[in-house]
Amino acid sequence: MPVTEHQGSSSSPSTFSFGRSLLSLRRDHVAMPSGEEADLEAFQRHFAASLGELLPGEVEGGGGGGGGGGGGEEILSVAWIRRLLEAFILCQEEFRVFVAQARRRGALPAAGEKLVVEFHERAVKALDVCNAARDGVDQVRRWERLADIAASVLLAPGEIHEGQLRRARKALSDLSVLLVDDTAASGSGGVASFLASHRNRSFGRARASPSRASFAGATSATSSSHFRSLSWSVSRAWSASRQLQAIGAGLAAPRAHEAGLAAPVYAMGCVLHLVAWALVAAVPCPDRSTALQAHHLPAAPARAAFPWAPPLLTLQERLAEEGKRKDRRNSCGLLKEIHVLEKSTQKLTDAIDAAPIPLFGDREADVREAAAELAAVCAAMRDGLEPLERQVREVFHRIVRSRVEGLDSSMHNAD
Amino acid sequence: MAEDGEEKLLATVQHIVKTLGRTDTMTEDILKVFSNYDGRLSLDKLYATRAAAAAAAVAAAGGAGAGEHSVPASPPMPPPPAVPPAVAAMPAVTSLERTVRTLDRQISQFVTMDRLIWADSADADAFLEAVDDLIGTVQELDAAGTNRGLLDRADELLSRCMARLEDEFRALIERPDDVAPPAPGGFASDESEEEDYDADDGYGDEPIPIAKPVSDFDVVIDALPPGSVSDVHQIARRMVDAGFGRECAEAYAAARRGFIDESVARLGIHARTIDEVHSLPWEELEFDIARWIPAFKMVFRILIPSERRLCDRVFDGLAPYGDLAFVAAVRTQVLQLISFGDAVSAASRAPERLFRVIDMYEAVRDLLPDLDPVFADPYSAALRAEVSAVCNTLGSSIKGIFMELENLIRRDPARVSVPGGGIHPITRYVMNYLRAACGSRQTLEEVMEGDLGAVGGAAIAVDPDRPTSSLAVHIAWIMDVLHKNLETKSKIYRDPPLASIFLMNNGKYIIHKVNDSELGVLLGDEWMKQMMSRVRRWSLEYQRGAWAKVMSVLQTGGPGIGSLPAKALLQKLRMFNGYLEEICAIQSEWVIADEQLREDVRAAITDSVKSAYMGLISRLKSSPEAAQDLFIKHSPEDVEARIQHLFEGVSKIEVSGGKMLLGETVWSSQI
Repeated sequence: MPVTEHQGSSSSPSTFSFGRSLLSLRRDHVAMPSGEEADLEAFQRHFAASLGELLPGEVEGGGGGGGGGGGGEEILSVAWIRRLLEAFILCQEEFRVFVAQARRRGALPAAGEKLVVEFHERAVKALDVCNAARDGVDQVRRWERLADIAASVLLAPGEIHEGQLRRARKALSDLSVLLVDDTAASGSGGVASFLASHRNRSFGRARASPSRASFAGATSATSSSHFRSLSWSVSRAWSASRQLQAIGAGLAAPRAHEAGLAAPVYAMGCVLHLVAWALVAAVPCPDRSTALQAHHLPAAPARAAFPWAPPLLTLQERLAEEGKRKDRRNSCGLLKEIHVLEKSTQKLTDAIDAAPIPLFGDREADVREAAAELAAVCAAMRDGLEPLERQVREVFHRIVRSRVEGLDSSMHNAD
Repeated sequence: MAEDGEEKLLATVQHIVKTLGRTDTMTEDILKVFSNYDGRLSLDKLYATRAAAAAAAVAAAGGAGAGEHSVPASPPMPPPPAVPPAVAAMPAVTSLERTVRTLDRQISQFVTMDRLIWADSADADAFLEAVDDLIGTVQELDAAGTNRGLLDRADELLSRCMARLEDEFRALIERPDDVAPPAPGGFASDESEEEDYDADDGYGDEPIPIAKPVSDFDVVIDALPPGSVSDVHQIARRMVDAGFGRECAEAYAAARRGFIDESVARLGIHARTIDEVHSLPWEELEFDIARWIPAFKMVFRILIPSERRLCDRVFDGLAPYGDLAFVAAVRTQVLQLISFGDAVSAASRAPERLFRVIDMYEAVRDLLPDLDPVFADPYSAALRAEVSAVCNTLGSSIKGIFMELENLIRRDPARVSVPGGGIHPITRYVMNYLRAACGSRQTLEEVMEGDLGAVGGAAIAVDPDRPTSSLAVHIAWIMDVLHKNLETKSKIYRDPPLASIFLMNNGKYIIHKVNDSELGVLLGDEWMKQMMSRVRRWSLEYQRGAWAKVMSVLQTGGPGIGSLPAKALLQKLRMFNGYLEEICAIQSEWVIADEQLREDVRAAITDSVKSAYMGLISRLKSSPEAAQDLFIKHSPEDVEARIQHLFEGVSKIEVSGGKMLLGETVWSSQI
């Protein structure tokens, strides 16, 4: 065989084992009393625990940050989103095991298989959200790169001089163009529009240089601005809000008498929707702002109906609240770090605007302080965004894999 | 680019034009895309080629010009930039002040210039020289640290230079043809700058030159003319020297991205969401795949390596900014192309998709080794990983589709029987499918590898006498599943001999298809022996089942002692006649599709029936009581003739194949 070198990794049994390894894994570590009810109970318990760990501790209405309960991360921070994705992966694994167990016992009638298929169809709809979120994260990294130029220029040792201010202004101006572009794509106004109007006033370096003007005609068809964004690998007509609706469509709590898979499938549908919604809310993506309307949330389960209902509902409420907060409503993303980036950028812009040249005393201290703040958030983003992007991919691949390996159908236990 | 490189490029472009261009306008588009890689080289050459080919017709079309300029005219190259002059050795502040003041004057002239500085190479050189002086001055002032006011001024001046350099940089990358004046009378002068992409540029209706197809993608396209590359590199060096490397990388990516996006779009690839792919009818998706594969190769074999090369040259010696810039420029399109692979993998496991997915997998797999030099740096490692990941996903998808075939066979219901016990559509479908799959044996074996026993491991013990490759095991398993399904289907015949005929027919067809292809190698001799003995067994079962009555009626208890009375013999004859009529009536509708098998079965029946019948007749003739008014309806030859007419329902059966569950696919029409 001519090309085999990469095959070693591609066909390793773990990536394509048809649930076999899962089964044995499960058999090894839980001496199951067996029986559907025990399984169901265990599933729901684990599910509830996973969600519970995501709950922020004492939730305070308005102000400051660190309300970390379970893991200590603030809701919608990069770290929190990563834990949310982890929790989803965990739940999905539990679900796979549950289904595999039921099949092994022969306790999965046609109706049950249909439910499994239904969940996988729903999960496939989340793939586009994963792609959009990955692009969104990359977009945020681009913002970070520009913001970091501005911040690090101003934090260079020695006094701040006009050249540095000019350079910082230019970076901030380019950043504002990106933000405007992305906010326009997300369909909201806010900080970016503030920056946009600002740009004309204070960043208005003579951009009407003929070099640009002479090309404007040629390039305007495809690009309207210097740093045009257009880095979505999903098509621009794609709408996060429509996608979320599709994911949540028909998600209804099973009636009491519906046994078997109905409850786990419903639970998975709920958490899938929650994760997709959180991703869309957190990072820029097309038509994001419409998606944030809370009424797109699917019908919520009754609090007492499932052990995992209370944590899920609390999470939904918290996310919805975040979306409605005045200072966040028009943001490019609810991700905490984005918020801080926007705030710090604005603060730095103001500080620069207010600073007379040459800079003295308090003014210079203001600029430096704002720059330091911005530098800090940039550093946090650099550390956090890459792993976040990887994890979004992981969720994506897991969903694809479960489709590819046919875990949505009962074919492997026939005969 | 070397001359033979150019030839290759031209041939490749023309090949691509030929293979991808489905319509005239699309072809024209692609041509234009490639022409835009290098305005003076490719397009010029392309049209020169055409001009040469159609020399007579050229005169009117202004092709004369093209002919003249088939040798690419070098743009007026700026002389190599002066080495930054060593800053005057005297540290006297006043002298530095003078320097800064002079530089300020010079530079202010340039940065306020309302045309591109690089439009005039002398200006460009002078500006670069001034920038070099300024960078040196700033460094010196910084080192001295004594004249803060002057340093601020110089720094401020530097930032203005950098902003202007960034603009020039972008302009040079985005529109190199505007910057470098076109060769006199050359091609570029025919076109106004803005109308580059307009369809109506006078070339739309001319024939497209077609060269011999080349399968060789070992071609690099120079995205910028060499002169521009060196200009751009000069700017990048100044920006990095002045500490503006990150800005430079961002500007580079922003400048290239549009071109890359457009190139991919013009290959007929537009972003499809996974949802769309999921809900697309297979015929449309198949079309998309057919477009995706060559586009994927084009992008990863030509476009991206070319981008890499350009980037490496622009940022030569300026690591890591080149790597940053490269990834930022190509990332989106790489991911978008990959995403389609993921989408197809996740879409459906319908068996007919196997072959297109194999095509996709092979395109990606064959590419992987060549990606290493392109995605070698740590920044693009993630992209490389994405390409491997999609390769794995497609591989898994192939396995999944194979599993699904098995699943479909197993679940194919035994609702309608094939009339006459003929070949069931599922048998045809599966065998032709597997035969076609054998054409991709290598790939299938590759993706199956390491997955031994994943399919109902307990049920199928690996037979040591059977070829034991993963694919062979899978196929043998599928054959077993098919066999079981056929046995189930045979049970719906109310006539057990007809069930045997059905199994025999399908078994014989399977044997035929296996022998006729590489399946034979995979399944092995042992399997074949087993299959043949099955067919023999079914044949015997048929004979016993269908003719047992007849044979027992023909028993006369052996020759010699006249044990049976004539009356009984006559009774036997009547019964035989009745049975024969009955069997012939029923079984003339039955079918044995394979000619040889039909002959064999007939011969076997004839053998036993005819001789027994002749025995009966001779007994009757020798019986004095019966002989007088003996009426023999069928001569032994008649009987033989009747038997020879059995199983001929062929044409009738072929048409009414019953309800095809699997057969109604693209496949049945392709094989």
